[in-house]
Amino acid sequence: MSAMIKFLIAFIALTAALNVFAAADLEVNSPGVNTIKQSMQARHAQLAGYYNSGAVGLTADGLIAVRDAGAVPLAQRQAVNALVAAENNDRNALYAEIANANGHPEWQGEIRSTFAQRWIQRAQPGWWVQSGGWKQK
Amino acid sequence: MRYILLALLAPVAASAADFSLTVADIVAPDFSARGVTLILPEGDSADLRIARLSVQQRSLRNVHIHCANFTLSTAGMSCHGGTLEPLPGMLLAFDYRFDAARWKVFAQLSNAPVKQFAIFLPESVPLPTQGKIDGTLRISGNASGIADFDADLRLADAGFSDASGLHAAEKLRGTIKFSAARKAAILTWQTNIAWHSGEMFWQPLYLRGGHRISASGTLDNVSLKVEQAIVDLPEVGRVQFSALWDMRQDALMECTVRGDNLALEKLFANYAKPFLDKGALAESHLYGHADVDWQYRNGATRSLRLALRDAGIADAEQRFALLGVNSEIDWQADAPRNANIAFSGGALLGVPLGAGQWTVRMHGKDFSVEQGILPVLDGRLELRDFKLYRKDDAWNWQFSASLSRISMEQFSRAAGWPKMLGTLAGRIPRVGYDGNEINVDGALLFSVFDGTVVATQLKLADPFGRAPRLSGNLSMRELDLDLLTRTFSFGNMQGRIDVDVNNLQLQDWQPARFDARVFSSAGNYSKKISQKAVQNISALGGAGAAAAIQRSYLRFFENFGYDRLGWSCVLRNGICTMGGVDGGNGGAYAIVKGGGIPAITVMGYNRNVSWNELMTRLKRVTQGNVQAVVQ
Repeated sequence: MSAMIKFLIAFIALTAALNVFAAADLEVNSPGVNTIKQSMQARHAQLAGYYNSGAVGLTADGLIAVRDAGAVPLAQRQAVNALVAAENNDRNALYAEIANANGHPEWQGEIRSTFAQRWIQRAQPGWWVQSGGWKQK
Repeated sequence: MRYILLALLAPVAASAADFSLTVADIVAPDFSARGVTLILPEGDSADLRIARLSVQQRSLRNVHIHCANFTLSTAGMSCHGGTLEPLPGMLLAFDYRFDAARWKVFAQLSNAPVKQFAIFLPESVPLPTQGKIDGTLRISGNASGIADFDADLRLADAGFSDASGLHAAEKLRGTIKFSAARKAAILTWQTNIAWHSGEMFWQPLYLRGGHRISASGTLDNVSLKVEQAIVDLPEVGRVQFSALWDMRQDALMECTVRGDNLALEKLFANYAKPFLDKGALAESHLYGHADVDWQYRNGATRSLRLALRDAGIADAEQRFALLGVNSEIDWQADAPRNANIAFSGGALLGVPLGAGQWTVRMHGKDFSVEQGILPVLDGRLELRDFKLYRKDDAWNWQFSASLSRISMEQFSRAAGWPKMLGTLAGRIPRVGYDGNEINVDGALLFSVFDGTVVATQLKLADPFGRAPRLSGNLSMRELDLDLLTRTFSFGNMQGRIDVDVNNLQLQDWQPARFDARVFSSAGNYSKKISQKAVQNISALGGAGAAAAIQRSYLRFFENFGYDRLGWSCVLRNGICTMGGVDGGNGGAYAIVKGGGIPAITVMGYNRNVSWNELMTRLKRVTQGNVQAVVQ
């Protein structure tokens, strides 16, 4: 019986937490969020080719990673790494900014995983995404 | 660590003329040959077949060595003119003495495909993928392993890559000489590598041919020692170094690096920059030449001597530059030293800086400048009590400064701002950075537009991050409207205003929140407003109001008198809630309250406006001077 009560309490606590999180505005507008989004948009043109060739893929934690550097000429590999690092800096900053703009810095983790799912869902056919292992959409 | 010659030389009949022996498995550290059959036909030749040859953890099946000249006696066996299948392009010779278990292998490679050697390498290292190799290999040893190794190789269009592609090379041409001799547990080695052409990516470095290395040292079970190495870096210069690497701890124990007259631009761009995280330094260029002498011991830098000659640093976006730097810096980890640093000039946000000479006091990781003068245009910035030090694993700094009067006209032109009149002077109290935030203690005081600007509680969080956040309060007193409106082509206004901006928050230098109030300063002074300014103020409230003035009798007058002006904006979530001289009545509020003859009162009717919309309108009326307005 007490196990049942514990389960119920845990369940209520969990759904309550989800309800709280459901209130997070992922489209929130703040100068910080806008700057990061613009910077990511500007970078996307450079990254798109690497998504298409499979050199870069989307990871399960809302970031991107070099999946197959062999698909990139040697002289460009440094640049691809730098692009990926810059994009990941922006993505990490974006999740933190959105959490801050919502007034709940502690939501960053949930915001990140929601975005991770979104990015992967919206990935174009042919791109590589991480779910379990690497898979091509 | 001994060869185990498991058995026997068992005669097996092959054909009438052949004599065939089954040799037992040969097992040694990192090497084994199983299922060995020796076939001795008539004449001098012999065939050695090995069912499985293992080197390291890799193995090769059905190896066939054909010896054109083979001798076998009770003392040993030797092979000359040998060929190896399935590895073409190799001429082999070997000699094995049964009693002492001494052996020698000689291989002559001519145009041998590099790729075939991949099978001898562990999968974890980058494996050869393409190209050819020429040269000779001599290896000799005894039952306890390799005693002497000598390689003299020439690579032609060789390439390698690991599975991730993060360590890879293409079209490598060059020569490699390597020799090593083992005595007891110590291996003494020397090498000479000349890399002529080709490209290599060894994350994060991307390098091209033109490098040369000659080095010598020792290797034992504990450490790798580079006694002396000379490296020629293309377009940089020659670097000599020695190092001691502890393999048990996987750590650098000792290192010295020396180089004279190194070209800093390529040294930094090719060998240092790739290791730096994104940041101001990672996007900078270095110039000039330097002598370097670096001594590292017990996990820390003991001393660094730098002689800079016409050196310089400039960030990629031209925000900051310091050029013509000459200095002899003799830094010691545990002794105080002074360094005189002279520079010929520089720039900050486009504003040119003049020459100067600073004395930097160094004591370990504490650096300080008691007083430093930085000429700025026709004035100067005087820095006091500058300190740079390590605390909690972060670089902290602090200073105070004062800016003597510099011409705003020159300053605004240099910074690419609209032409401003008057002079700029200021006092900067203690400014400190603790690794996260830049904090200003006390009030930052500037004189602009013939008035004063006092900034308090200024704080810049995450200054080098993606979206820096500035917060603070601004209080401006008695700014001259005439100077201000002329600067921003707003239409002439005369008088003086006070401006308060409280609870200011900028994110990435864009306003996110503030409580701002503009109002006429106390005191007696001439108050006039031009028709153009009236129109512009009205236009900020929307197009209709300006059109109304155009139609009215007011257009006959060039200037009007006014009694007071006032405007407020509370910015929250991108919306500015506005007010005027007083609370107003109903929806309307007065921005300019008339007085004198002819008098005019300008009313505002909209209480709420989006900040972006307001900026667009302002941009329109000031003919694109929006940046100046944000200042």
